[in-house]
Amino acid sequence: MDAGLLAQFVANGLMLGMMYALVAVGFTLFFGVLDVIKFSHGDVLTVGTFAGFSTFLGLKAIGVANPWVQVAAVMLIACGAMAILGALIARYLVMPLKGAPALNVLLITLMLGTVLRESVRLFFPDGANPKPFPKLLPTDALALGSFTLRLDSAILFVAGLAVIVAIHLLINRTKLGLAIRAVAQDEETAKIMGINFTLIVLATFALGSAVAAFAGVMNGLYYNEINFGMGLLLGVIGFSAAIIGGLGNIYGAILGGFLFAALQTVGAVALPFASAYKDVFAFAVVIVLMTIWPTGLIAEKTSERV
Amino acid sequence: MNLIRTTLAALAAAAVMTGVAPGAAEAAKQKVKVVFIGPLTGGVSVNGLGGRNSADLAVKLRNADPKAKYEYEMVVLDDECKPNIGVQVATKAASDKAIIVGVTHYCSVVAISTVDTYNKFELPVVVWGAVLPEITYGHTYKEINRINGTMIDQNAVNAKFSVGQGFKKFAVIHDTTDYGKGHNKYFSENLVKNGGQILGTFGVTADQQDFNAELTKIKSLNAEALYFGGLTPIGVRVRSQMDKLGIKAHFIGTSGIMSDAFIEGLGPLAEGALAFREGAPVDKLPGGKFFTEKYTAAKYGEAPEAYGPFAFAAMTLVLDTIEKVGPDRKKVRDELRKTKDRDSIVGPITFDDHGQNTVAAITKYVVQDKKWVVWEDSEYASGKRKLAN
Amino acid sequence: MAPVPSSISPSDTAWPAFVAIAAATLFTVVFMWAETEAHVFAVIAAGAACAWAARRFGVYARAARIFAAREQVLDWGAIAGMLMLLAAFHEEHFPLLMTATVLLYIVACLGLNIQFGYAGVLNFAAAAFFGVGGYTAAVLVRHTAIPHPIVLLIGGAMAALIGLFLVLPVLRTRGHYSAVITIAFAILFRTFLEVNDTLGGPQGLKLPALQVFGWNFNRNFEIAGIGLSFYVNYVLLALALAAVAFALTRRLERSWIGLTLDAVRLDETAAACFGVHLARWKALSFTFGNFMIGVAGAVYALMLGFIAPSNFTFGDSLIMVSIILLGGIGNPWGVVLASAIVVVLPEKLQLIQEYRFILYATMVILVLLFRPEGLLPRRLRVYFPGWSPSPK
Repeated sequence: MDAGLLAQFVANGLMLGMMYALVAVGFTLFFGVLDVIKFSHGDVLTVGTFAGFSTFLGLKAIGVANPWVQVAAVMLIACGAMAILGALIARYLVMPLKGAPALNVLLITLMLGTVLRESVRLFFPDGANPKPFPKLLPTDALALGSFTLRLDSAILFVAGLAVIVAIHLLINRTKLGLAIRAVAQDEETAKIMGINFTLIVLATFALGSAVAAFAGVMNGLYYNEINFGMGLLLGVIGFSAAIIGGLGNIYGAILGGFLFAALQTVGAVALPFASAYKDVFAFAVVIVLMTIWPTGLIAEKTSERV
Repeated sequence: MNLIRTTLAALAAAAVMTGVAPGAAEAAKQKVKVVFIGPLTGGVSVNGLGGRNSADLAVKLRNADPKAKYEYEMVVLDDECKPNIGVQVATKAASDKAIIVGVTHYCSVVAISTVDTYNKFELPVVVWGAVLPEITYGHTYKEINRINGTMIDQNAVNAKFSVGQGFKKFAVIHDTTDYGKGHNKYFSENLVKNGGQILGTFGVTADQQDFNAELTKIKSLNAEALYFGGLTPIGVRVRSQMDKLGIKAHFIGTSGIMSDAFIEGLGPLAEGALAFREGAPVDKLPGGKFFTEKYTAAKYGEAPEAYGPFAFAAMTLVLDTIEKVGPDRKKVRDELRKTKDRDSIVGPITFDDHGQNTVAAITKYVVQDKKWVVWEDSEYASGKRKLAN
Repeated sequence: MAPVPSSISPSDTAWPAFVAIAAATLFTVVFMWAETEAHVFAVIAAGAACAWAARRFGVYARAARIFAAREQVLDWGAIAGMLMLLAAFHEEHFPLLMTATVLLYIVACLGLNIQFGYAGVLNFAAAAFFGVGGYTAAVLVRHTAIPHPIVLLIGGAMAALIGLFLVLPVLRTRGHYSAVITIAFAILFRTFLEVNDTLGGPQGLKLPALQVFGWNFNRNFEIAGIGLSFYVNYVLLALALAAVAFALTRRLERSWIGLTLDAVRLDETAAACFGVHLARWKALSFTFGNFMIGVAGAVYALMLGFIAPSNFTFGDSLIMVSIILLGGIGNPWGVVLASAIVVVLPEKLQLIQEYRFILYATMVILVLLFRPEGLLPRRLRVYFPGWSPSPK
C-alpha cells in the first residue's frame, strides 16, 4: 500500500471518527447528569439535519445565495431547534420518569426515536426518499498522488475540532460547566448548594442535542446525502463509542468515537477476509475491549463525571 | 346501526326494482376482495408505497368501469420487508376466505418466505417486485406467479452490454441482503463469461453511511467501472462518495437504483449512470402513457417508483382474471397460470409452468439530463455523448 | 413495590375475579375479531372505558386482592381463558398464529425477565438468542433425524452455550457497560448471518413441519367432526411452554434463589458481603434466561417454517426489552400483558398502513407517562399467597 492511499484511509477514518465522537459526547453528557440512556439521540440528529435542510430550502426560496451565509444559518437553526427539542424531551419525557426504573427512560426515548423518524419519513415532503444535501463549502481538491483531500472535508474537520474544544471550555471554564459537573457528581449536594437542578438538566440536554444537530449537518455537508434513517446506526455507534471510551468524561467519548472509526476502516481494508465482515470485526473487538477494560478505556472515577 | 342498515338495504332494493336510480345497480354488484402486500414502513417503504398506489389505481379504475362485473375492495397489508411479518400477514390474507387473489411483495426474502403459506392456504398470488429466481423456480406450487423478471436475466444483459461498451475491469459493491448478494452472484458469473474481470468485491450493510474505506481501496484497484448491487439510498451515497474521492470508474447499477430519487439525490452526478430493468419501457407503450396520466391525475402523495407499473399490471391482470372466471380461488389460480401474450403496461405477459413471466424483456437505461432514458434513444447510444472513462 | 393487602375476609366473594377473567377473555376475543378501523378503535375505547369503570367502582381492587390471595384462580383462569380463545378461533388460522406468537414471546420474555428483572443482567441481544434457537432447530431438523422435542431443547441449550461466550465480558462489566456488550453481539450476530452463506445467508432457511411422536403439527385435523386449524397444535404447545416457563419463573422468584438474585441486583456490595457469589448467580441467570429464549426461538422458527437474519435484528431485541419495561420489570404477569400488547397491537394497526408505527410508538409513550413503572409494577414478594401475619 502506498503512502498516499494510507493517508487517504487515515483522513477518511478521522472524519468518520469526528462524527462518531460528536454523537458520543451527547450520550456522555446525558448520562452524566441523569444516569440515563437517551436512545432517541440518533433520531434527534436526523431531525436536526432535516431542519438544516429546510432552512437551506427556505433561504434559497427567498434568494439568499451566499454559501457562507447559508452554512451559518443552516448550522444556527439546526442547532438552535434541536437545543429546544432536546430541552423539551428532557422536560416532558425524561424528567417525569425520574422515579421510575432508570431503564424506562430507555423505552420512552426509544419510542420517541420511532416517532421522530417516522415523522420525517411521513410528513417531510417526499421524506421516504434520500435527499441531496447541498454542497455549501468550497470543493477545491488537493491531490497528491492517490491522496485526495477536499477543502470542504478539511473545513468540516476543523469545525468539529472547534466544537469539541468549545465543549471542553464550556464544561471546565464556565459557571454553567461547573454546575453541570456538580450535578453529575452528586445531585443532592448540588441542589443543596443552590444549583437549579432542573435548569441544569435542561441545559445539558439542549447542549447535547445541539451537538448532535451539528454532527448531522456536518454529515449532510460531507456526504451530500441525507435520509430519514441516517441517525439510527449513528446513534447505536455513538452510544457504543461513549461506552468504550468510558462514560466518565467527554474525552472518553471522543476517544471511543475515533477508535470505532479506526476499527471499521481497518476491518474494511486491512484484514484478510471479505470487507462485509467489518462490522462483525468492529463489534467483536468492542466486546474484547470491554472485557479487558470493563469500565471503558478512560475509567470512570467515582469522584468525577462529565 | 342494524336498523339503519336494514332500511338502507330495503331502499336500495326498492330502487333496483323500480329501476329509477342508475347508481343503485352498481351498489348491487357483488363485492370481491383482493389483497396488496408490500413494505409500507421502514427503509424501502418508498417502493412499497409506490406499488400500493399503483395497485390501488388499478382497482379504482376497474371500479369506475361500468362494465366490470364485480366491485373490488383492496386490502392493504404491510410486510415491513421482514420475513416473519411477511408470513404473518400472508397468513392473515390467505386465511381470509373473502380474499380471492393477491399482488404481493417487493422484498425477495419476504416473497420466498411466504410461498409455502400461499400454497398451504391456496391463495393465488402474483409477485410484483421481488427478483430472486427461487421465488418461482424453487418449487412447483401452482399459486405463485411473478410478473417481473428475475435477477438472472437482468445481469446477463447487464454484463454483456457493459463489456460491449468497453468496461472490462470491474469493482463490485453490493449490499449484504438477498438482493445485493444475488445480484453480485449473477453479475459476476456473467461478466466472467463475457470476458470481463472482477478486481474486487465489497459487501456493505444496508444501513451503512460511509463507504470511504471501500471506495479508497477500489480507487487503488483502478477499475474501469463500478457495479453496484443494491437499492437507491445506498446507491446515492456510494456515487456521491466516489466523486468525493475522485474515482473515475463508471457507475453501473441494477433495477434497484431506477428511481427518481436516485437522480434527485445526486443531481448532475447521476449523469451517465446505467441501470437495467425487466419489462418494456413503460412510457413507450400506449398503456404506459395512460398509466402515467391516470397516476398523476389521482394525486397520490408518492411517486410510483420503478416497480409501480408492475404492481399496476399485476393488479390489472388479476382483476381481468376474476372478471373472466369469477371470484373463485381455484379457478383464478388455474386461469392465471394460463396467461399467455397478455398485453400490459410492462409489455406482454406469459407465465411459464412455474408462473414466471417469460417475456420479461430487459430494458437498458441511462441517466441523461436528469432523466432515465432508454439506452437506444439516448444521445449516448447515438454517439453524441460518451460514457465517462 | 407497593404492598398489597394480601388478606381477604371470608365474606369476600370471588365473583370480581371471575368477572375480570371473563371480561379479559371476551375483550381479547372481540379484539382479535375486530377487522375494520371503526371496530378496532371502538373495541380499544370500550376496553379502556371498562378498565376505568372497574377501577372507579372498586371491582379492580377487589379482583386484585383476590388474585393476590388465591393465585390459582388467576392462573387457571388465564389458562381457561386461553382455551376459550382457542375454542372461539378453532378454525381461524390467523388469530391462532398471533396467539401462538404472543405465547412464544411470553416464554422468551420470561427468560429475559429472569436476567433483567431478577438478576439485573442487561441483555440487549434477546432476539439474537431467539435466533440462535431458531437456527439450531433449522439445521437439526433439516440435516438430522433427532426427534423434534429434543431439537427444541438443543435449541435452548445452544442459545445458552453461545451466551456463555458473553458471560465473561458481561460479568466483568456493569450497567450500561454490559448493555454495550450485548448490543455489539446483537449487531454482530445479524451481520454475520447475512454475510456468511453456510446458514442460508440473507435468503434464510426453510424448515419442515414440527413432528412429535409422528403427529404432524402442520396438518389441519378434526376432533368429533369439528375442523381445527393446524395452528391449534402450536398454540397448545406454546401454551404448555408458557405455563411451564411461568410456573418456573414464579417458583424461582419465591425461592431463596429469587431472594439471592434480588440481592445481587439491588446491591452488589452488600450481597457480596453476605457471602453471595455474584458471578455464579449472574452467570446462572444469564444462561438460564438464554435457554428459555432459545427454546421459544426454536418453536417459533418451526411454526413459521422459515427463518432469516432480518427477523433477529437489534430492533427486535429492543422490542423484547420493551415488553419487559412496558409490563413492569420483574412481574411475570406484566410480561404476559405486555407481550400481548406489543405483538398484537401493531398488527391491528395494519389498518392505518404506513402510519401504524408512529401511532403505536405514541401510544407507548403515553402509557409510560401515565404509568412510569410499567403497566403492572412488581409487588412485594409474597411467599404464601393468602397468608396474613396477624391471626384473624
